[in-house]
Amino acid sequence: MKRSGISTMLVVCLVMVAAICPQVFAKSKAEPAAMKLKVGDVAPDFKLQHFDGSDLKDVSLSQYRGKSNVVVAFYIFAFTGG
Amino acid sequence: MKAFQANLKQLEAADTQVLGVSMDSPFANKAFADQVGVTFPLLSDWGGDVTRQYGIYLDKYKAARRVNFLIGKDGKILEEQIDKDAIDPKKIVDACERKKVSR
Repeated sequence: MKRSGISTMLVVCLVMVAAICPQVFAKSKAEPAAMKLKVGDVAPDFKLQHFDGSDLKDVSLSQYRGKSNVVVAFYIFAFTGG
Repeated sequence: MKAFQANLKQLEAADTQVLGVSMDSPFANKAFADQVGVTFPLLSDWGGDVTRQYGIYLDKYKAARRVNFLIGKDGKILEEQIDKDAIDPKKIVDACERKKVSR
């Protein structure tokens, strides 16, 4: 009798672990890494090069101060969609 | 970047400067801009210093994550869109146009 009680408990435990595991894994996979810069933070200034077809030009974020909005759109690689 | 180009007139009408940034070379970015017809500057973060400073460097691809930052007049970040959410610029266009109306 005692034996069957233990094995029943074992089965119950295994079922619980099996039920929880996929959720834990799914959660850690779906959650993207947190952003270092948050809404409300000052966007760090930068100076980067832009080739306009004849010259390499420096472009900085601060040169657009005074504009109502600046969109800085980072993309993974040239020649990709989006 | 094509999607931003498609909305560029609206964005410019709302006094918005669009800048694309990637870790490609300036020459690759120029070829990319020509291919898809982008007229706003595509900037090269060759080496990834700025990408790291912004905290969006992806080790796996040795490149930048796809992220849009909308920056206001005071230099502060108003909105962020990350990964898949960064492909469609509609939210940014809407935000810029809302500001135009409320000005």
